[in-house]
Amino acid sequence: MNRISIDPITRLEGHGKIEIFLADDGSVANCYFQVPELRGFEKFVEGMPVEEVPRVVSRICGV
Amino acid sequence: MAKLKLASYWAAACGGCDTAILDIHEKILDLAAAADIVLWPIATDFKYADVDAMPDGHIDVTLFHGAIRNSENKHLAKLLRAKSKTLVAFGSCAHLGGIPALANLFNKAQVFDRVYRKSPSTDNPQGVEPQPTTAVPEGKLTIPEFYDTVRPLDHVVDVDYYVPGCPPTPKQIWNVVTAIVGGQLPPRGSVVGASDKTQCDECQRKKNDKKVLGFKRIATTAPDPDTCFLEQGFICMGPVTRGGCDTRCQLSGVACRGCYGPPPGVIDQGAKAISAIASIIEAKDEAEVERIMEEIPDPLRSFNRFGIGGSLLVRKAL
Repeated sequence: MNRISIDPITRLEGHGKIEIFLADDGSVANCYFQVPELRGFEKFVEGMPVEEVPRVVSRICGV
Repeated sequence: MAKLKLASYWAAACGGCDTAILDIHEKILDLAAAADIVLWPIATDFKYADVDAMPDGHIDVTLFHGAIRNSENKHLAKLLRAKSKTLVAFGSCAHLGGIPALANLFNKAQVFDRVYRKSPSTDNPQGVEPQPTTAVPEGKLTIPEFYDTVRPLDHVVDVDYYVPGCPPTPKQIWNVVTAIVGGQLPPRGSVVGASDKTQCDECQRKKNDKKVLGFKRIATTAPDPDTCFLEQGFICMGPVTRGGCDTRCQLSGVACRGCYGPPPGVIDQGAKAISAIASIIEAKDEAEVERIMEEIPDPLRSFNRFGIGGSLLVRKAL
């Protein structure tokens, strides 16, 4: 099956890629969007003084 | 002179460094006149395959933001090292691990458990976790391997220069750009786009050489706007942080957060912070020392907020 990889997706904040699988006639058989990143803010803000949290989670996206 | 070939890449990052580059505003036109962009995911459409196709040393300068969190970050670090004559660790994450390295207080299993199972907004009854390879009817899909430990750029490749800051200030970015374009970079290994003094040397707040009898939190006490934060009992990383940002946090009513990393001669910013804090505490006996130390909010993350990945600690042993 022919495959087109769009890696990375550009002109947005963050990492992403798209895998497109083509049928024999060239039509799109299936398509997958993947996010190949995680930093884990959900975990590492645990137990943090509350006044720190907005100053840390502002680094989820700086765009 | 031939135009420079410039790349800007993000690994485990937030995009704030790229935004800070764009905050040089109309000077971006001068940058475009001096350099051709060959990779810049936030702003241009070059793909990884374009980088793969470049001969080694093709890129004159790569500004690399973000920490090394997963195998893709490491792969791109090695790839861009090979393709670049000069590789710059740009911003706190590439310099010292940055905020993403706060995850080094935990490991991969703990992060995944929280994110993919226990977070209140997650509905995942089968407990599915991301896998590096997933079989689908059409073939195989891959995503990077998530590491236990977040590392700064120089843990995985040789780095030529460091530009500190979360993010670096646009003024300093312009200084670095002009140094690159003018071929006036200092010896390799240097920190550029910053000063050689500490934050305290550059801070405008009044200091009275007062000892500290206890610590406060800005959540419960409003700091005086003109007096040294530390002398008021608010944890400030000023004494152990490199200057060069024009003390923008302190001017905004926020104690220095430490993002510019250690000043020259300091190996470990967090350890130096403990030493600096200890030297300003006034206590009659050990019990009082204990009480005062107990008042420091979240000392591990306060003293290593932007730098635990590049510190002597690197991570918490689990």
